[in-house]
Amino acid sequence: MNSIEEKLWNYIDGTCTPAEQAAIALLIEHDEVYRRKYGELLALNAEFTNIELDEPPMAFTYNVLEQIRAEQALKPLKANIDNRIIKGIAAFFILTISALVIYSILMVNWSAGNIEWKMPQLNLPKVSGLLSSGVIKGFLFFDVVLGLYLFDHLLRRKKIAKAA
Amino acid sequence: MQHKPTDIELIEQSLTGDQSAYAELIRRNQRFVFTLALRFTKNREDAEEVAQDCFVKAYRNLQAFQGQSKFSTWLYSIVYTTAMTHLRKKRIATDSIDDEGTFIQIENKPSGYDMNNVENRSRSYYLNLAIEQLLPDDAAVITLFYKGEQSLDEIAQALNMEANTVKVKLFRARQRLKEKLERLLKHEAKELI
Repeated sequence: MNSIEEKLWNYIDGTCTPAEQAAIALLIEHDEVYRRKYGELLALNAEFTNIELDEPPMAFTYNVLEQIRAEQALKPLKANIDNRIIKGIAAFFILTISALVIYSILMVNWSAGNIEWKMPQLNLPKVSGLLSSGVIKGFLFFDVVLGLYLFDHLLRRKKIAKAA
Repeated sequence: MQHKPTDIELIEQSLTGDQSAYAELIRRNQRFVFTLALRFTKNREDAEEVAQDCFVKAYRNLQAFQGQSKFSTWLYSIVYTTAMTHLRKKRIATDSIDDEGTFIQIENKPSGYDMNNVENRSRSYYLNLAIEQLLPDDAAVITLFYKGEQSLDEIAQALNMEANTVKVKLFRARQRLKEKLERLLKHEAKELI
């Protein structure tokens, strides 16, 4: 149910239909209660337009622009690289490798017949002598320290991200 | 006479990297954005942070602004979401309209007024004091309607609400503001007697 005040505010704001507008205008003209309330709300409405806006600090604009500049400077190199350049480099390598593969295939003499082919024998150095228990222990110790360091790094990053 | 660039022209210039154009956009809107932020945060330091954040976010997303609404409406929607996020972070309950007791008294008194100077205690002063005592939602709707040159539809867009909800909120906010203003003036009259 619309109260007198609600109807009058709608009338003042101009948010009611033309028919309602005309009906309320008639009521204001003939009804004393409506007329008095309308005058009161109109005065209040005029008063509300006098609300003062607060002034931000003097350096506000400068601070915003500084923040924008700092953000732009902090942008990772990754974000500044044009994707088209990356794609261009990738396309160049793919084309070069493809051309090389195609050329190699075309150059193969397929009519060579049955040739007995043997796997070439490679003389690899023996590494069993190098892997003494001391070396293995040292390697494992290094792995554990590295693992702990990386785990700590990960936890720190998570903590910073949560705080931000 | 020098041509005053429109908001859209300034946005286009800003998008080409002209920071002085964006500085002009900030200057045009900073008082209102700051006041609106203050309505939500009830604290000048927080309001400054929110307002600053809002302009940085707007700059970052300037390309997304399609010009279908006024720049100010778009900016106010950013203020609203930024302020809400800020308040959520600070764990301040702001959305309860019925819980009148939860409002936080503003820390700083309105600028330009000397509290000890009785002559300065005009109705306008009490009006601003009454607004500060309103709930953030009510204060924001009143400010957007009377000072932001926003229609009910635009306020609804900025606050992400239905236009009818905004209409009801505005009606209630005006009633509350009227009550608070009357209470403050009555109190002042008693003090003077």
